[in-house]
Amino acid sequence: MLDNNKAVLIRGPEIAVASEIRAEGKDQGRYLYCVAQSSVRARFGKIGLDGEEVYTIPFVDLCAVVHNCPPEPYKSKDREVVRRWVVAHEKVVEAAWERFGTVLPAGFDTIIKGEEDISPEENIENWLGKDYERLKERMDKIRGKAEYGVQVFWDPKTIGDEIAKTNEEIKDLNQEIKSKSKGMAYMLKQKLENLLKKEMEKRADLCFKDFYVRIKQCVDEIRVEKTKKTDEKRQMLMNLSCLVDKQRSKELGEELEQINKQEGLAVRFTGPWPPYSFVAFG
Amino acid sequence: MEPVRDTHATLVDLLDRILDKGIVIYADVIVSVAGIPLIGVNLRAALAGMETMLKYGVMVDWDEKSRAWEWEHRKKKVVPLMEGEEIILKTFGSHLYSEGIYTAWRSGQLHLTDKRLLLYQKDFDEILFQTSLEKIRGMVMKREKHFTKEQMVVLYLLLQDNQVAQLRAVDTHKLKEAIEERMKVKGLALEENPVLPEFDRRVLKFVRGEEKVTHQSEMWCQPLIQTSGGILNDGWKAGHLYLNDQKLCWQHHFNERTTVEIPLDKLTQVKIQIRDLGGVLKKKKLLVVSYNGTETCFSGEEEKICQWEKTLNKIMSKQSTQVEMETCPQCGEMAPTDELLEKGCARCGWVSPISRPQNLGHMTRIRELREEVVETVV
Repeated sequence: MLDNNKAVLIRGPEIAVASEIRAEGKDQGRYLYCVAQSSVRARFGKIGLDGEEVYTIPFVDLCAVVHNCPPEPYKSKDREVVRRWVVAHEKVVEAAWERFGTVLPAGFDTIIKGEEDISPEENIENWLGKDYERLKERMDKIRGKAEYGVQVFWDPKTIGDEIAKTNEEIKDLNQEIKSKSKGMAYMLKQKLENLLKKEMEKRADLCFKDFYVRIKQCVDEIRVEKTKKTDEKRQMLMNLSCLVDKQRSKELGEELEQINKQEGLAVRFTGPWPPYSFVAFG
Repeated sequence: MEPVRDTHATLVDLLDRILDKGIVIYADVIVSVAGIPLIGVNLRAALAGMETMLKYGVMVDWDEKSRAWEWEHRKKKVVPLMEGEEIILKTFGSHLYSEGIYTAWRSGQLHLTDKRLLLYQKDFDEILFQTSLEKIRGMVMKREKHFTKEQMVVLYLLLQDNQVAQLRAVDTHKLKEAIEERMKVKGLALEENPVLPEFDRRVLKFVRGEEKVTHQSEMWCQPLIQTSGGILNDGWKAGHLYLNDQKLCWQHHFNERTTVEIPLDKLTQVKIQIRDLGGVLKKKKLLVVSYNGTETCFSGEEEKICQWEKTLNKIMSKQSTQVEMETCPQCGEMAPTDELLEKGCARCGWVSPISRPQNLGHMTRIRELREEVVETVV
């Protein structure tokens, strides 16, 4: 599989990089930011990680946006350094995005290295050639579009209270508890809690389906991401990455506004991002 | 609502994208630990101190996002079909694997094709089970209790060579119908009321070599352990009681060792007794098996205890005809002739006149006394 592919990927930090090693093989790797739709050999200036010079390596009508680096992954335990790198990576992708219109962003620390008789440039060209069709296909899918993050949260207390007020079974149980002995009341309370939990799960499920359908209508492609743990007051109900035509982002914003207005619900709407979530070959 | 993209407020969103996503390059020579996004972890560890990171619980699930794994999945493994083979039904399902050292339901995609039934595991690119439709002789549905206490419907396929396969699907009934339908189309007949072999040999993992097991069930046992300090009672253990043509055996579930082996010709008595088993288990029926002067107790479902008692006694009575049995002239109890003549009847205390003077003088006296009492009463 892919046996003709001479591109060598380094990604991962298992070896700590001492600065002297870095200095030695200084130009033996190319840190990849993204692939863009353009055949120009362009320079972006010193805007890369740690102020590296960013430029393009063209292949037919595509180009790779890179900077020269040693063939070792970037690694640091310093939070501030990492934050700077990540932000710099994003800034470069955005600069390319602005300039070329369509980009396939790469993840952090995607480094292509050279081999004995093959330069890193050649490896990149080989790879672009090898994956050309697929890259173009992806390019077509994301042209004129951006990625938006949509996260819907709810406040379990508000929602729980509302369910407790409207659900007959829960109302009955609540009444019953008042008239029972301590022991029985405890048992019933447990039952009540379980019931409420179930009802909330049901509600969450309904919300998810409802919102999903509504959001889907405003976007081109949707990816359901894992929800994350948040604090007790804000539970994440859904976490989506949406590929949206730039013209239609307003439409999505309006729909989200409707959801955001509902009692106990909150929407986080981020973007536009380069389409990170929609560039992997499917 | 306007989207936000302030670098500070959305750093987490940015990280989610930059660290876990983006274009994937797959190269044949991968240096370092590419594939496993350790860099992501590393960076995240560095960032974990940030309030937002903690709040978002970003540290969770990082390993699942291994790029290599994702890549493997993106390659979209497809079920290996023969040329021209056509899928009729595809559903999530599982098969009870019991050929190895463990038994487990293994899950995958169940495919019913025009030629066969196969269970395919995409992640490992492995066929977990398959059979050609021609091999299916019959099908039986059974409702069984899963160990999670859930009821589940299991489809038993009776195959050629008396093999039995157990399958489950999201909708097991639908699966059965689909198979029936397909068999009909192919002009294959299914047995009306197929009889499953009593035991699926493969389920009896405890059976060694060529043992021919005729009865088996899960039973508790209180094995007696011989130690230098005497016989030790080690408490109740869960295991399998089974019977082959020569021995009654019990194998401990935990270590899979057969700790009880009673040659059938050594059995002297099998009876049901009611005893307290300790704790809340009061007045429970027990199967008490006597042999070689010791007794071993088994416990389990009452119904099974009764079945075992019947089975074992049947075997003993069959044997007794060979061992030369005699009935006690006084009460009619069956006992081996030798034992009856030498020791007397275990039930009523009758003693043979031949042995009376030698070793059981006291028994005789008791009997004579009793007779006297009876006579006076009458």
